[in-house]
Amino acid sequence: MKVRVLVVDDDTALAEMIGIVLKGEGIDAVFCADGDSALGMFRTHQPDLVLLDLMLPGKDGVQVCREIRAESGVPIIMLTAKSDTLDVVVGLESGADDYVSKPFKPKELVARIKARMRRSEDPGPERLAVGDVEIDVTGHTVMRDGERIALTPLEFDLLVALARKPWQVFTREVLLERVWGYRHSADTRLVNVHVQRLRSKIERDPENPEIVLTVRGVGYKAGATR
Amino acid sequence: MPHGLVTRLRRAVHRARVVTVRSTRRAVAQWRSSMQLRVVTTALAIGLAAIVVLGLYLSTSVRDGIYEQRLAAIDREAARLTEQVSKSFSDTATTSDGELQILLKDSIATLAATGGSTAEEYFLLHEMGTTVRVSDIVTRSDLTDVIITDEVREANLASDGDQVLQAVGIPSRVANGMASPGVIVGSTVQAAPGAKYEIYYLYSLEPEQETLSFVHRVLLAGGFGMLALLGVVTWTMARQTVTPVTRAATVAERLAEGHLSERMPGARGTDEMASLARSFNEMAESLQDQIRRMEELSAMQRRFVSDVSHELRTPLTTIRMASEIIHESRHQMDEDAARSAELLLGQIDRFESLLADLLEISRFDAGAAVLDAERRDLRDVVMSVVEQAAPLARTKDVRVSVRLPDASAAADFDPRRIERILRNLVVNAIEHAEERPVEVTVAEDDRTVAVVVRDYGVGMTKQEVEHVFDRFWRADPARARTTGGSGLGLAIALEDAHLHAGRLDAWGRPGQGASFRLTLPRSAGVQIAEPPVTMAPASHEPGLRTGQIPVVNPAAGPTPTAIPDLSDPGDDGAERLAAPERPAGNDVEVH
Repeated sequence: MKVRVLVVDDDTALAEMIGIVLKGEGIDAVFCADGDSALGMFRTHQPDLVLLDLMLPGKDGVQVCREIRAESGVPIIMLTAKSDTLDVVVGLESGADDYVSKPFKPKELVARIKARMRRSEDPGPERLAVGDVEIDVTGHTVMRDGERIALTPLEFDLLVALARKPWQVFTREVLLERVWGYRHSADTRLVNVHVQRLRSKIERDPENPEIVLTVRGVGYKAGATR
Repeated sequence: MPHGLVTRLRRAVHRARVVTVRSTRRAVAQWRSSMQLRVVTTALAIGLAAIVVLGLYLSTSVRDGIYEQRLAAIDREAARLTEQVSKSFSDTATTSDGELQILLKDSIATLAATGGSTAEEYFLLHEMGTTVRVSDIVTRSDLTDVIITDEVREANLASDGDQVLQAVGIPSRVANGMASPGVIVGSTVQAAPGAKYEIYYLYSLEPEQETLSFVHRVLLAGGFGMLALLGVVTWTMARQTVTPVTRAATVAERLAEGHLSERMPGARGTDEMASLARSFNEMAESLQDQIRRMEELSAMQRRFVSDVSHELRTPLTTIRMASEIIHESRHQMDEDAARSAELLLGQIDRFESLLADLLEISRFDAGAAVLDAERRDLRDVVMSVVEQAAPLARTKDVRVSVRLPDASAAADFDPRRIERILRNLVVNAIEHAEERPVEVTVAEDDRTVAVVVRDYGVGMTKQEVEHVFDRFWRADPARARTTGGSGLGLAIALEDAHLHAGRLDAWGRPGQGASFRLTLPRSAGVQIAEPPVTMAPASHEPGLRTGQIPVVNPAAGPTPTAIPDLSDPGDDGAERLAAPERPAGNDVEVH
């Protein structure tokens, strides 16, 4: 199956260049040059991944990101010209899974896309449990009290990574490597923001987490199974 | 005296001396620093001298005037009295001693009773050296011997009819009372033929004395009053002059501190002070104007740099991707085009790092740099940076060694920034090491953590050390151009260190290498007094002297005194020291 990517960027030269690079990797690209039509394009083409520029004419990237996230868990990677703390955090909090700051290398972009498209292929059915949450890894579902909790693929991956080794404390760097596919140390804010997002969905009380626990000064670990 | 007491005494004396010297110094310092105090004290000193001189002159003249007048009066009166007594003697002829006695008594009684005499006491004594015919008439016998001394009597007799004046102190009637001033006037009278008598009058000068003391008191009070008045006048005048000056100084200080809207009051008058205030305010106004203009300009410039850097990023991304695509297909091009593609990609890398540095420095300039601190161990960061630099070290054939303390070097810092500083320092050191070792030393104490990156390469002169943190400054323009780097690396490193309230120091000697030390407080609010490690810590390799190429040592010989043995170059054939004795701490080698 050919992977399709929606590129939302007002700079047509850059969008076309991204298209060329992706074509070389065997990825199809569809383009959208403004924020207002982005959601329509998304619905029409049903892409496997969205590359989203934060600064867009019309609706800005953060708004577009929220709208897409509201109806789909599709991976979103932000393209940002500003690597300033606030912009990145705002973008991540609006639902983006990852970000690439301009100027980026083609390989970097491709690596980020592939990391998000990579699906863990596990032999046989696998079921995990953390606290009172049950995870069906093969079926890609998370249940609590018989009710399904909707997670984005990234949040799911994060939860599975923690749940597979409930005895282990994961540092942010290790999680970046396992879940995001970074080989070298990258922005640990990615982990912080997504742990918060995950907690807001699966914890009964996000202020007192029971599923994803913080180990001060080290990182995170899964909560005890009941 | 017991020894302890002596010491204590000595100490007390010393302390007293110290205190005296200190307070004197303080007073002198205050006197020097306060113009007002100086003016007042000077005026008072001069005034005091003038008043003392004037007072002395006045009191002497007054005293002389009073006494001389009185003495002249006394002289005249005594002469008149003597004449009266003589007359009464000559008018009355006495035949017997009894009559004479009565005569003497009567004449004195007449003197005392009749008006016109102001004498206190009268003494009628028979001539000294003659036999007593009748007893002497004395109004106060207890004073006779005390006041009328033999010297006075001799002088009186010798004067032959002239009056003799002698100042005396009149003993008080009360026991232990004060003697009052007086004067005794002596003369002689012929009471009867062959009966010469000495007559003395005692005059009291007490009223004059009292007048004089009164005058003295008045003079003294007047003097003090004058002095006080002088003090007040000069103090007020000095104040009037000094206050505007002080105010100007205060305002100038405030201006210097950056309160540019500060102005001097009292500019509306017409006097000199108002004109001072006016010109001062005009100066402040133009200063404020210029600074504001400069600030605006500089803010505009900063925003411009930041905007340009941001705007450049999108097209740069396109260029970068395009050039990589071209670069990847360079094998299908002819030689020149392929080489061009390589150059293009390399220069885009450089352009990109320059842009990133420019953006970072503009963020510092705009004050927009944010510290994202967390608790981390500096040892881990150092190790990670050195590992990342290992490929470069291998390419440059530089050996990098790390010395870590046993204790934790945990501190609150922004790992991204500290990693950037350290990467910069380590890469710089490797590039300037000239194949000599690079040593990274981590140290810590209660309050701070530090890391020193030392190389033994070309080194730096003093001037170079001073400029090493300047933007776009290069130690050797011709050389550094080829090694790349934006020229902003150390400037950013310094800004990063300052953002942590830390320090970044540089050291260098030509031919001996260079050293950079980063010191960070363990947590916010800690002041860095003394970094826990010197700029040039002991070399990691004992026996290796600065500037020397490592000496080859046989692998079997663990002696630290390195004996050159060129016949056996060791297993790797490179110029290396074989297993030097491990110094204290954890040394890690990355090669």
